[in-house]
Amino acid sequence: MFKNEEMEINLGPQHPSTHGVLRVKLRLDGETVVKCTPIIGYLHRGVEKICENKTFFQGQVWTDRMDYVAAISNNLGWAEGVEKLFGIEVPRRARYIRTMLTEMNRLASHLLWLATHALDIGAMTVFLYTFREREYLLDLFEAFCGARLTTTAFRIGGLREDLPPGFIKQAQAFQGIFLDCLEEYETLLSENRIWKKRTVGVAKISAEDCIALGVTGPVLRAAGVPYDIRKAFPSAAYAEMDFEIPTRPEADTYARYLVRLAEMRQSHRIIQQCIDGLPEGPVMAKIPKILKSEVNEVYHSIEAPKGELGYYFVGEKGGTTPYRMHVRAPSFVNMQALSKMVEGRLLADVIAAIGTLDVVLGEIDR
Amino acid sequence: MSEPIEPQTPAEPEVPAGPYVYDYAASPQRQIVLPKTVPLPSLKAYRAEVAAQQAADEAKWQKMQADYETAKAKAEAEGKEAPKPPVKPVPRKDDNDMKTPWPQEAKDPDLLRLQELLGDKVEEVFEQAGELTCQVRKEALLETLRFCREDASLKYEMLADQTGTHYPAAKDFAFSVVYQLTSISRRKRLRVRILVPEGFEPESACSLYPGANWMERETYDMLGIRFKDHPDMTRILCPEDWEGYPLRKEYPTVGWGQRDIDLREDRGGVLMRIAMEKAGQMGINLKQPQAD
Repeated sequence: MFKNEEMEINLGPQHPSTHGVLRVKLRLDGETVVKCTPIIGYLHRGVEKICENKTFFQGQVWTDRMDYVAAISNNLGWAEGVEKLFGIEVPRRARYIRTMLTEMNRLASHLLWLATHALDIGAMTVFLYTFREREYLLDLFEAFCGARLTTTAFRIGGLREDLPPGFIKQAQAFQGIFLDCLEEYETLLSENRIWKKRTVGVAKISAEDCIALGVTGPVLRAAGVPYDIRKAFPSAAYAEMDFEIPTRPEADTYARYLVRLAEMRQSHRIIQQCIDGLPEGPVMAKIPKILKSEVNEVYHSIEAPKGELGYYFVGEKGGTTPYRMHVRAPSFVNMQALSKMVEGRLLADVIAAIGTLDVVLGEIDR
Repeated sequence: MSEPIEPQTPAEPEVPAGPYVYDYAASPQRQIVLPKTVPLPSLKAYRAEVAAQQAADEAKWQKMQADYETAKAKAEAEGKEAPKPPVKPVPRKDDNDMKTPWPQEAKDPDLLRLQELLGDKVEEVFEQAGELTCQVRKEALLETLRFCREDASLKYEMLADQTGTHYPAAKDFAFSVVYQLTSISRRKRLRVRILVPEGFEPESACSLYPGANWMERETYDMLGIRFKDHPDMTRILCPEDWEGYPLRKEYPTVGWGQRDIDLREDRGGVLMRIAMEKAGQMGINLKQPQAD
């Protein structure tokens, strides 16, 4: 009656804990995962093809739709990539504002990650707390550019407009409460016995495997590698900021949770430095209304909340659109690590692993 | 007194009878303009271009001077006032904050080291916009990547990105495939590039960088470049039965895969009317097919 045979099941593509339309084909022996195959592409829209037919200014709008919880990071990558292609120097004030908004977006993204990850594992309450603070940040984005999620915050060469009146005051108010809020989340989770049982030692991946697979971001830093593009290849105003790269040696889900919390503290520090040291001056460089590229090829990457977000551009002589645009999406590359993380472990750990990778399917499928 | 205006009834939009199909060929988005140039950054090409430009400018200047001499001689013979001597044209300077990054000669020790290691397998090395590019022969790709990964003075441990570009206007190749390498310990980036013709299968980098697995699958899916010795060379983003490779330049942005309304089952013409209205709003030509 009880046969000892393997079973194949589908997790997703419509499953609340796969964060979108991710399908994971699992081969199970009882409750143990024998083989795990992520299948992607359900949200493929052909952003790269579309951007080849849009001008450099229009293409930025499409980047919002890739990683829709961290649209400002995507905008930063696009704007800086195009600026590198054309050799545009951005004014210092614009770089400071860009840095501040990107860090705020990192906070918003990490807050959403914490909420959904905790919700997947079974801690419902954190969701309500983190979304409260995320709302403050979305209000700030709305004050800056009129949109909460699909921001298109920057322009090529700087910013469309300076900060609105009262923005700094609002941001200061947020800065004042945020560290206390972080402590609230830690009180709820860090020493929580159920949380620790679900996360400590779960979905481990070593630093060697991470580097071999190209995994970046908090997953790599939680494996003890202090690689952060904000430090290694600084862009915007990161070279002038004073912050640390938090790392942990354990390389498990709990370590990634701690690394992301520590990262939020560092982002808070960077935002404070941007507010305090905000220089005066113009926010837009002098650029022509129609950008015509020369034959050139650039790869520019920034540290998005999920990892290394790279833009590869090929410019054609006199072209107003990119000849070729490619996005190195952090979630796409990080997703490859899922099989390594969960094979040989329990089915329930797959949910924790998907949560801890912090993937956004809009970015994986593009 | 003006004449009373007669009330006008709005004319009913004319809906011709018969089945309608979307005329894909006439759709403006469907028209494909293939690129005529090959935007492949290269130091050699840039130098040749600059030299050609200089030669053209010089020839123009010589001609201007010669024209002036003849005009002057003619004026002297006729006893008129001599014309003004020509002024050498200076290139116009744009008033903006842009400094176009041109390709420059390779001075970085990594590129020189690669040249030394690979010898004549290297086709070109140059720097542009602060980025290092090394173009190698298509057969020497794996060897180059192995050197980049394992040589003690290079140590590019991570493959950040891998992608390709389609160049339909090029004569002796069809695609470029680029590998963006990152050295975490040395904080450096390097781009390895190969040029491959249609149908050529480059060696897969999966044995050196396991992360190349999905990247190469994506390149295959989007551009149709197959990789040799790849563990699972299947489509990744598009469905398995998808036709064509979307990022090739001859692939249209609309049209393929769009579903047509089955008007044969359209009783009473409701679907047709909706289609006509939609098409009118979107500015699409709906062409009436000719009778067989």
